[in-house]
Amino acid sequence: MSSDERMHLRINLQLRIQHFLLMTSVALLIVTGLALLYRESAFGRFLIAIEGGFESRGNIHRFAAALLIFTSFYHWLYILFSRAGHDEFMQMLLRVEDFRDYGRTLLYDLGLRREKPKLDRYGYREKFQYWAFAFFVLIMILSGFVMWFHNWFFGLLPKWAFDVALAVHGGTGTLILILLTLWHLYIVHLSPGKFPIDWSFWTGKISERQLREEHPLEYERLREKGM
Amino acid sequence: MRTVCSVWKMGSLGQALAICLGLVGIIWLWQFPAQSQQDANGRCLLECHGKPDFKKEIAPGQFRTLYLDYAQFKASVHKEKLCIDCHTDVTVLPHPKKPEQIHCLQCHYEGNVVGAPVRERPEKYKESVHGKAFERGNPNAPDCKSCHTIHAVKPPQDPQSTVYRSTIPKTCGGCHIEVYAEYLEGVHGQALRKGVLESAVCTNCHSEHDLYAADDPRSSLHPRNVATTCAKCHGDVQMMERRGVPVTQVEAFKESFHGIKIEFGVLKSANCVSCHSYHKILRSSDPRSPIHPQNLAQTCGQCHPNATANVAMGKFHIIPSDPEAGIVFYISQFFKWLTISVLIGLILHIFLDLYGRFRLRRAGE
Repeated sequence: MSSDERMHLRINLQLRIQHFLLMTSVALLIVTGLALLYRESAFGRFLIAIEGGFESRGNIHRFAAALLIFTSFYHWLYILFSRAGHDEFMQMLLRVEDFRDYGRTLLYDLGLRREKPKLDRYGYREKFQYWAFAFFVLIMILSGFVMWFHNWFFGLLPKWAFDVALAVHGGTGTLILILLTLWHLYIVHLSPGKFPIDWSFWTGKISERQLREEHPLEYERLREKGM
Repeated sequence: MRTVCSVWKMGSLGQALAICLGLVGIIWLWQFPAQSQQDANGRCLLECHGKPDFKKEIAPGQFRTLYLDYAQFKASVHKEKLCIDCHTDVTVLPHPKKPEQIHCLQCHYEGNVVGAPVRERPEKYKESVHGKAFERGNPNAPDCKSCHTIHAVKPPQDPQSTVYRSTIPKTCGGCHIEVYAEYLEGVHGQALRKGVLESAVCTNCHSEHDLYAADDPRSSLHPRNVATTCAKCHGDVQMMERRGVPVTQVEAFKESFHGIKIEFGVLKSANCVSCHSYHKILRSSDPRSPIHPQNLAQTCGQCHPNATANVAMGKFHIIPSDPEAGIVFYISQFFKWLTISVLIGLILHIFLDLYGRFRLRRAGE
């Protein structure tokens, strides 16, 4: 067995479960949300039809929302009360170096730099996605809550706040869809070497080659430890 | 004698003039009695129905007039018709028994040979609330004559007609008195009274012959159809500009929570009349109006029990792409441009990434 084929556990079971819940809920939310956004078009009508009609579409959307909220809370608990989760989270914190790495990568891609920046376990790609997504999920949950429990919020918020919630929910949702397809899905599905799919989200394992290429700092650290 | 002679001697022009005058006089004298003789209705009128005091005792001391105002009949669309064209069972005069009740469908059916117009299919009336009530034997149910009159039927364009636009509310109000009073107080009734003929009258919303109950899906007043019914006028840009009324309200409603729900059959959702009411629609500036800012909490509260004065804080019927929408417009614009830049940015980023990988591979070789 060559060293390239040696597999390293990158994503533990806890995180794989959380990712799976997130993936499922967000996919459902997007499909049911798009159905409403494009209700005038044949595409939207088709989505509504396969979602079991208009009211069923709403129910699936709210069910998926509940799942997403549950996953978010679970993630919080995992970060706060689990050693492994806490360690992962600390490595996920943004540092100035991440933005420098991003700049260096762009320069490298353009051919203006010789060296590719050496990334750690979580490079700028993972961090940007994580934090952008965390921020967007927060916005979606808050604006979604205003609409879901509008009858309760009626006593609290002015009329324009509901209009704002709707506009923000639709706008952010579209943005998330674009980020997911053009960044996240490109990285894990379509980018060279990954097609058709990077199975690490399911198995949790990546090859030594991938570790060396994509996370050289982590690779070096592991090798120093003699793994 | 001398005078006459001098007239005769006055030359050919005077001669011709005198002859002409004489002839016209003769024709006029000859024609006048002949007209009433030639009018075949004359016999009906002359002896009986033309006399104002012609009446029948239907019960001891109770009389029913059988007089016909013939001048009115001659001004109606049926002026060319004979009495017996409709009262076909009258074959001898005086008729020995009361003629059968006639029905408009004797002539106004599809494919009739006398040229009676059939603009509205009578089936529509039969299916309508009025037709159904009539069929059930409701003595108050209107049929054709209730709105069109019996002998004085005039076309809808005729200002004297009972179905002329400005007269329609009064005609319907003959039975629907309370609604008529409410209507006259509302913006549509007020405008009509000021002579604005294009203001909505009963039939614009209720239709005429195909008038169904509001819970009937065919009805123009069914929750699913209300917005479309209002949009017949309130979506007409030119008409609304003439009247100084905003025209995007219905369009904005259809894009709103309520409008989308209605579109997909969630009928408990609010439609136009849920908030604006119907017969007595009043401006939002009118303190009596359900959409007056001070009444909004109560109006929204019909469905949203927690509604407070908060609901009056904000704009209604907004279209996000219209600067009129205020904060929502700016948020939509922000997201629009953010999304476009992100889209372009990410696509460029992918190409950049591919280019970098390509260079890495070439360097590797």
